[in-house]
Amino acid sequence: MPETVLIVEDEFFIAMDLQLMLEGYGWRVMGPVGTVKDALLLLETELPSVALLDVNLGRELVTPVAEYLKAHDVPFAVATAYDRPEQYGGEVLAGVPNAGKPTDERRLMAALMQLTGR
Amino acid sequence: MNMEDLYRLLRTGHIQAQGIVDTVADPMLVLDASLCVQNASRAFFETFKVDREETIGHPIYKLGNGQWDIPELRRLLADVIPKATAIINFEVEHTFPALGRRTMLLTARTLFHPDGASHTLLLSIVDATDRYRRDMAKDMLFGELRHRMKNLLSVVKAIAHQTTTQDRSAKEYRDVFLGRFSALIEAQELAYAEQDEVGVDRLLNIILAPYADKPEAVVIEPGEAIELGPHMIMSLSLVLHELATNAAKYGALSVPSGQVRVGWQVEDANSKLRLKWVESGGPPVSRPAVAGYGSQLIRSTIAYNLHGEVEQDYAVDGFRTEIVIPLGTAPSSS
Repeated sequence: MPETVLIVEDEFFIAMDLQLMLEGYGWRVMGPVGTVKDALLLLETELPSVALLDVNLGRELVTPVAEYLKAHDVPFAVATAYDRPEQYGGEVLAGVPNAGKPTDERRLMAALMQLTGR
Repeated sequence: MNMEDLYRLLRTGHIQAQGIVDTVADPMLVLDASLCVQNASRAFFETFKVDREETIGHPIYKLGNGQWDIPELRRLLADVIPKATAIINFEVEHTFPALGRRTMLLTARTLFHPDGASHTLLLSIVDATDRYRRDMAKDMLFGELRHRMKNLLSVVKAIAHQTTTQDRSAKEYRDVFLGRFSALIEAQELAYAEQDEVGVDRLLNIILAPYADKPEAVVIEPGEAIELGPHMIMSLSLVLHELATNAAKYGALSVPSGQVRVGWQVEDANSKLRLKWVESGGPPVSRPAVAGYGSQLIRSTIAYNLHGEVEQDYAVDGFRTEIVIPLGTAPSSS
């Protein structure tokens, strides 16, 4: 069974880039989705092994998704240009691994491996 | 030296001292050992809107209805100053009745008299509120710029990745990539230029200009003025670029007689933008067996980034695209 990863990123090109990157490593991608609403809808049907979140989704912050994941014990990383994501997205993002933006492939994989213990 | 000379000397000294105090551009107080005001600079009176009478000779904590009775200042004068002869830029935040909430930087220096029995305290007060505000605004602007730049680089990287190398020479790949890259640059220019708002007409004119060899090749029909946010400008620029390159390669703009008409309407009480792209006079159109990346890009950008819809019609006499985008509150660049 491949591990699943939920991608939340509002910019289509970046979302596609992350998806292709992760699929290249054999992950099954949930989404990508660009809004909190779509992310929560997906999460109601299935919980992924791990999630990768953009912090600023344009019209909204990803915080409710992070809180939902935390409440359901799903580990997550962020992929954001912010140095301190918690300053924008709240305490729930403190100490969460950041794969950065632009996202470096190795840094991303290292973060996800660390979270899933794979 | 007689009394007269001595008096003159002291008087000169006093005038000199007053002159020095008044020359200081910042508010300044000279306090005696019991913290009564001996002298004050002109800037002090001006900044705190008080006059000489109510200031000179009064204890600092009683000045202006006790507006200087600030716990941090008391601590500074009572505890810190006696131990250190000088304090530089001690920050105090306080609400002054005439000025509102301000951040003041206090610099204090103790002057010991030669007799050793008494001392004077020089206290300068610099209002750093505006400077702090400016610094904060600058920091925020830098942060925002940095964030925007990183996002833009991510999009560039993603486009470079997603521009396929399959069945393409290196030169072809480069040209396709650079075409998209140029559309992104135009979009940035438009979105963040320091001038008036960007409407649909301006966006169309700039993105489609390279394709209008002759004025009749690209006709932009006048429509309602509507302001576009940075997010919308970027996505629409890429979409228009794909439409135009497709037209130039396979559609109406691939032959001299061809024409593209672009028009737009604002609908449903300004809640929707409908954009129409109609090609004519080109070679006969047929639906491609597999949707190319260009048309996928158009669909995904409109659906995913702008939450809109696209309809593409491969009519035999000319390819048509209709795009409907909801006009919500403009999101910030993310």
